[in-house]
Amino acid sequence: MTEPFDVAVLGGGPAGYVAALRAAQLGARVVVVEKERVGGTCLNIGCIPTKALTTSTELLLKARRAHEFGVAIPTAAPDLPALMEYKQGTVDALVGGVEHLLKKAGVTLLRGSGHLVAPTTIAVQGDTGVGVTVSARRLILAPGSITARPPIPGLDLTGVMTSTEALDITDVPTHLIVVGGGVIGLEFACIYEALGSRVTILEMMPTLLPGATDEVIAQRLALLLRRRGMTVITGAQVEAVASSGSGFAVTYLDAKGVPSRVEGDRALAALGRWPNTDGLGLTEVGVKMDGRAIAVDEHLATSVPTVWAVGDAVSGPMLAHKAMVDGRVAAENACGGSRTVDYRSVPNVVFTRPEVASVGLTEAQARQRGADVKVAQSPFSANPRARILGETDGLVKLVCEAGSGAVLGAHILGPHATDLIAEGALAVQLGATADDLAWTTHAHPTLPEAMLEAALGFRDATIHFRAR
Amino acid sequence: MPDYLETTVDKFVFRVATDRLYSPEGVWALAVGDRIRIGMTDFLQQLNGDVAFAEVKPEGTVLGIGDEVALIETIKTNVGVPSPVGGTVAEVNPAMELSPEAINGDPYGEGWLALVDARDWPTDRAALLDPEAYFELMTGQAREEANKP
Repeated sequence: MTEPFDVAVLGGGPAGYVAALRAAQLGARVVVVEKERVGGTCLNIGCIPTKALTTSTELLLKARRAHEFGVAIPTAAPDLPALMEYKQGTVDALVGGVEHLLKKAGVTLLRGSGHLVAPTTIAVQGDTGVGVTVSARRLILAPGSITARPPIPGLDLTGVMTSTEALDITDVPTHLIVVGGGVIGLEFACIYEALGSRVTILEMMPTLLPGATDEVIAQRLALLLRRRGMTVITGAQVEAVASSGSGFAVTYLDAKGVPSRVEGDRALAALGRWPNTDGLGLTEVGVKMDGRAIAVDEHLATSVPTVWAVGDAVSGPMLAHKAMVDGRVAAENACGGSRTVDYRSVPNVVFTRPEVASVGLTEAQARQRGADVKVAQSPFSANPRARILGETDGLVKLVCEAGSGAVLGAHILGPHATDLIAEGALAVQLGATADDLAWTTHAHPTLPEAMLEAALGFRDATIHFRAR
Repeated sequence: MPDYLETTVDKFVFRVATDRLYSPEGVWALAVGDRIRIGMTDFLQQLNGDVAFAEVKPEGTVLGIGDEVALIETIKTNVGVPSPVGGTVAEVNPAMELSPEAINGDPYGEGWLALVDARDWPTDRAALLDPEAYFELMTGQAREEANKP
C-alpha cells in the first residue's frame, strides 16, 4: 500500500500527463499510472510517428521537384530502414522528454495496468505480476482510446493493417486499399502514395473527412487526390474484406447501391477509435457511462464526486490537443477549481497533401443553426508565397456572420494549413470579425495573407484576385 | 465540326461557332435531341484565363434562366456562369472534374459544361442571340477589354 496522493491519474497519454503536470503546478502530490509508455497513443503510435512519416515523404516529393527550384538532386528515394529509425528516434526523444518533465515536477510514475476498486483507489498490476494499490483524494481517468472494431467480416484477417501496423513500413505495397476516408485513412493514403503505392480509398459517407471539415474543403481535397491518380470512392458501404491470392479483396456497395469489388495487395482499416473503458472497474465503482465513453459534465466531473475523466475516453473530438485542454481543466477542478470546458476553438488538423485544417462551424453547420451567413474564399493560387513554394493547390474559406462579420469558422486546404489555422482558432476564440482580420497587417510574402484575402472577401474587396 | 466566325482583336483570336445560340454573357446553347448542351464561349474562356477548377451544379439541379450553373475558378478569378436556359441539369460533363482545362482548349466541343432538360426552350431560345449577333456583341466587348489600360 503506497501513501495517499492528492491526485492519481489513470493513463499517461496527452490528457493524463498534462493533467498530472498541471495538478503538480497547483501544488498537488500526483501519481500517474501508465501501463505502457507515457505519451500514450499520440506519442507512440499516433500523431508523432505519423507526422514523422509525413515529413519524410514530403521531403522526398520536394526533393524530386528540386529542379523546379534550381537545385540538382540526382535521385531522391526512400530508405525504409532509416525512415523507421528517424520515426522511432523522434518518438523516443519525446517520450523521454515527457518522462523528464514528470520527474522534474515531482510526479510519481507508476508502471502497470490500473483499474478502479473504489472512488479513491486504483489497483495496479505491474508486469512482474506484483500488485499495489494507490489511494488519492481525487482521481482523473485518462485511459484513452483503442482501434475501433466494427463488425465487418475480414477486418481481423492477418495482414489487414490497423494504423499501428501501418506505421511499420518494411516494404511498399503496389496497391493499398484504405477502408475509411477519415483523418487517419487519408494521412496514410498520402504517405503510401508518396512512397510509390497506388491507393484506393473507400469512404462510407458522401464526402471525405466527414464531420472534420467544411464540405468545399473535403470536395476539393477529393478532387486533388483523384487528379493525382488516387481512386477515391465515397458513399461506399463496405461489406467484407477477404483474402485474394496474396492480397485482399474488399467488397462494397457503391453510392448507387451497386455491388462492387476492389483488389489490392495491402489493406488498411481506418474506421475510427473507441474509448478504452472496458475492464477498468468503472461501472462497479459507480461511474456512469455514455455508451463506451465516460459520462462527464462541463467540468469534466463524472457521476462519482472524487472522479474526473478526460481525453479520448470522454465524448468530443478524439484529438490530442483537446485531450490536453481536458487535462488542464480536470486538474484545476480536481484541485478545487471550477473551470468549464470550451471546445469552440479546437481545430481539426489533417496532415494530408495538401494539408487540411478547420476550426469553428462549417457553412452547413452555421446555416443549420439559423445564422445569417456570408462566406468568403481565397485560393492559394493567388498567394505569392504559395507560388514561390510551388504549392498553389488549396484555398481558405471563412464562414462569417453576415451582419457583424464575426468569424464563425475558418477552413483551410493548402500548404501549412495545420499551422495557419492558429489564426482562425484565435479569431473564433476571441469572437474576432472579418474586418479585424482584414485590418491586421499580415506580413508579405507569407501564407497567412490568404486569410487576409479571404477576410477582404467578406467585404467583396479582395485585392489579389477577382472573386465573382 | 461547326463553322466559325472569327475576329482578331489586339493579338487575340476569338471564334464563335455558327451552329448554336448565345447569351449576351457569353454562354452558348446547342439543342442536342431533347436537351440543351451549354458551355462557355471562346471569348469568355480567354477573358477569364486558365481554368483550374470547374464546379458544375449536379444532376437534378433545377435552374431558372440566368441562375448560376457553374462556378469556374481560374488562376485570376472566380466566375459564375449563368445558365442561358431554364430547366433541370440532366448531365454534367465528366471531364470537368479531372480536366477542366478542356474549357480553354476546346470551349465549343470537349469543354462543354452540362446538358439541361429545358423547361421552355421555345421561350428561352427567343431571348438568345444568333451567332452573327453574338459575334458583333463579342467583338465590341473584346475591343473594350483591349483598350483597358
